[in-house]
Amino acid sequence: MSTDAPMGAHGGLRAERLTVRYGGVTANADVDLDVRPGEIVGLIGPNGAGKTTFVDAVTGFTRSEGSVTLDGERIDALRPHERRRRGLSRTWQSGELFGNLTVRENVAVATRPGGVGTLFRDIFWPRRRSDGSVDRALSLVGLGDEADRLARDLSLGQQKLVGVARALVGTCKLLLLDEPAAGLDSAESLEFATRLRTIVREQGAGALLIDHDMSLVLGVCDRVFVLEFGKLIFSGTPDEARTDQAVVAAYLGVPMENADA
Amino acid sequence: MDTYLQFVILGLGLGAVYVALGNGLVLVYRATGIINFAQGAMAMWGAYVFAQLRLDGSLVLPVGRIQLGAGPTSVAVSLVVALLTAVALGLLAHYLVFRPVRHAPALAQVVVSVALMLSLQALVVIRFGPNNISVESIIEPGSIDLFGVTVSSRELKMVGVMLVLSVLVWAYFRFTRAGVATRAAAENERGATLRGFSPDRLAALALVMANVVGTVGVILASSLTGLNPSNYTLLVVPALAVLLVARMESIGTVFVASLALGAFQSVINLLVLKPWWPTWAQSGIEQVVPFLVVVVILFAFGSRLPSRGSLQTIPLPDVHIPRLRPVAGTVVLAVTVVLLVVTRDAYRFGLTYSIILTLVALSYVVITGYLGQISLAQTAFAGAAGFTLSKVTTDWDMPFLLAVLLCSVVAALLGMIVALPAFRIRGAQLAIVTIAASLAIERFVFNNYSLTPPSGNPIADPHLFGMNLAVREGATLSRLSFSLMVLVVVTLVIVAFVRLASGDTGRAFLAVRANERAAASVGIDVRQTKLIGFGVSAFIAGLAGCLIGYSAGQLSAESFSVFVGLQILAVTYLGGITSWGGAAVAGVIGPLGIIYVLFHDLFEMGDYYALVSGLALILTAILNPVGIAGATRSQIDWVRRRIGGGRSPAARESAGAAADDAPIDLREVSDVH
Ligand SMILES: Nc1ncnc2c1ncn2[C@@H]1O[C@H](COP(=O)(O)OP(=O)(O)O)[C@@H](O)[C@H]1O
Ligand SMILES: [Mg+2]
Repeated sequence: MSTDAPMGAHGGLRAERLTVRYGGVTANADVDLDVRPGEIVGLIGPNGAGKTTFVDAVTGFTRSEGSVTLDGERIDALRPHERRRRGLSRTWQSGELFGNLTVRENVAVATRPGGVGTLFRDIFWPRRRSDGSVDRALSLVGLGDEADRLARDLSLGQQKLVGVARALVGTCKLLLLDEPAAGLDSAESLEFATRLRTIVREQGAGALLIDHDMSLVLGVCDRVFVLEFGKLIFSGTPDEARTDQAVVAAYLGVPMENADA
Repeated sequence: MDTYLQFVILGLGLGAVYVALGNGLVLVYRATGIINFAQGAMAMWGAYVFAQLRLDGSLVLPVGRIQLGAGPTSVAVSLVVALLTAVALGLLAHYLVFRPVRHAPALAQVVVSVALMLSLQALVVIRFGPNNISVESIIEPGSIDLFGVTVSSRELKMVGVMLVLSVLVWAYFRFTRAGVATRAAAENERGATLRGFSPDRLAALALVMANVVGTVGVILASSLTGLNPSNYTLLVVPALAVLLVARMESIGTVFVASLALGAFQSVINLLVLKPWWPTWAQSGIEQVVPFLVVVVILFAFGSRLPSRGSLQTIPLPDVHIPRLRPVAGTVVLAVTVVLLVVTRDAYRFGLTYSIILTLVALSYVVITGYLGQISLAQTAFAGAAGFTLSKVTTDWDMPFLLAVLLCSVVAALLGMIVALPAFRIRGAQLAIVTIAASLAIERFVFNNYSLTPPSGNPIADPHLFGMNLAVREGATLSRLSFSLMVLVVVTLVIVAFVRLASGDTGRAFLAVRANERAAASVGIDVRQTKLIGFGVSAFIAGLAGCLIGYSAGQLSAESFSVFVGLQILAVTYLGGITSWGGAAVAGVIGPLGIIYVLFHDLFEMGDYYALVSGLALILTAILNPVGIAGATRSQIDWVRRRIGGGRSPAARESAGAAADDAPIDLREVSDVH
């Protein structure tokens, strides 16, 4: 995978000079970050560094300055659902499933999100069955057997995987994953990494992965960005990250060298 | 200019009541997070007690009465007794009604306070009678000179009393340990506990203070207006508008905004008499003002309103994805037809009305049960359709089906306008906006003599393919063909509802209900979904409005009043707000429906209907949020589990089953109809 020239003209997601302020706090300061199709990019940083804020800003859930382009098209004026429909999908750190819907419905709702046309079709010409993409996405994340359970009955780890499946269906050009493996043990985490690779390869989508599990991030990502106090302090390959002074300092106490041992 | 000043001063009297009720609303909201729709009704009880004591010295209790003297009691004694009653009522309301729902979803809290309001109003009718009674003034009427203009001094003194009380409430929050702890409790309950107060006691105290302040206000004002069961109950609506303006917390803003609103409403009443003011806009405009104020405030500051108790993802009752069952459906239909055939006159009419009410209830199921938006304006939508129906059938001779469709579309459009505030706010605050809208429409359109003459708006009888579908003919009060027409319309709507609810639209509604930002993150256009939901639900309400209009032969404002709307919400919650079965139960027990007719005819207890339904609603909201339909379903599930033992009777059908089976069933059913 290529590691340099991140700002060249290409498809995928590109955020330039992205700035988010919450009152006096600058949660993101002039962040430049890009993710190309077929690539897994890591975004790490201590708690409160602004990782979630970055995802919120890019997907339109919080007000921001700067520009966001998807496949060369400006999307920063669009509302969140419009960005999703163009293929910018996200998951949430806290799951945010529809607790009273089943797992399958949680995913299916992303394939057919309703609208005026849907309303009349529902009433006058109800659809017979789904096209199978929902079940495919569920088995991709390994939850094929849980499809008929209520989402709120799953463990948090499983809920986040449902979130991933929900982000995958429909048009998905770019996945933003906010700590998707936080509820998984290390074996499950490893399995998730393998699955993520498969997903990215099969769908040709790009992915931005936020996680605290260094071995997961450094092991699976092609490139890594590091945020601290809202500012990017590093971008480069996982190998470079392991030896970078600033990154090590930000993660003082975390033994980076051993992280992926 | 002089007249204007005089009207401003007169308006301050009304403003003083808003101050009283607004103080109460803030107290209760800050202590419990609940918006108390019953604030006006609670205060009114004490005022009635006072008025009755001044009349003949008897202390009227909910049951029985105590004679305190041979003749009228003195002002001082009456006042003390009335305020003690207010204290007792505040305590009762806290321990019996609000405390049990303190952690319940916003919808249950709204429903409980609305139910308390309906119950108190019904109790007032039973205990004190439905008519206006005049009340002797405590404050001597008089006049003083203000800027060279002679104005009434009574209103100014009322404002003085309210100023003192407001300062006391403000000082309570500011300086007393309990008040400071209440403010802390508004942030989180532990905050109060840490300061050594039980949040529960603080809430009880707040309810008592709220009711005392409110009662003083209503006692003072009742000498200006007289007392009747509905006027002070509904005075809570402008006070709620004030509450929003005060961002749910500022006593100072409550005071100023209340007086401004009262004065403004009074001056408007002067302006409408000017020759240049359009006649059609003369009545009800003073109710349009609070609504507009609320809407403007919301659009200016909406996102910054504090949202305690309304922003958490609301665990509304679970939804059981409906499926059409051709056999069961046919049986229910057949039984209904038989009942309609064998009954006559009042009973057939009651049954027919029940079927129509099912539609109104279904409109609540769509908007609240599925989409999670609390709308209190459903009867206003119904009335708007009925109103249009009268115009298009009499002025334009528009034929039956076309007219009904057109009028329902008008209702749907109105619904989508009322949906606009829902872009910004949710939960109980949306309930405030929609009840304000509903009252504005009621006063501005249905009670507006230039739009709705006292004789009513006649509606031409329906005819279709040469069939006479009129409800009456000669001595027959309730014709079968009308009832059957109603049944067909309602059945079609229920089929459409089931298709919608089990389809992609229903799922998108439920997603928005569960979690708006998650819904947006999966590509759902939340605003559009709300527009669709309000549109569909208002369309259904509009159909009901047309049928109600046809059933009366004219549009009568009483059928669509705010109270009727609240009552239908009550019975829908009682029946089960998440299913069409619940709507059907609501139809059966709803106002003017068959049970109501039985209450009236068999037991001669018509007055008790409203009380019983109000109390039953309080109980349902506290004990069993899934309502009668939901409770019945869990009984059936239990029996099935015992007998069948096979299929797991989960709270809802598996989605796979719903997606695969439902459309097949639907096809079969569409052949049946
Ligand atoms: N909605 C919000 N309002 C105000 N401040 C916020 C909000 N969301 C996040 N913040 C603040 O922004 C900073 C970054 O938070 P976040 O993006 O959640 O960090 P991370 O995901 O890296 O742990 C933190 O200081 C946090 O307190
Ligand atoms: Mg985070």
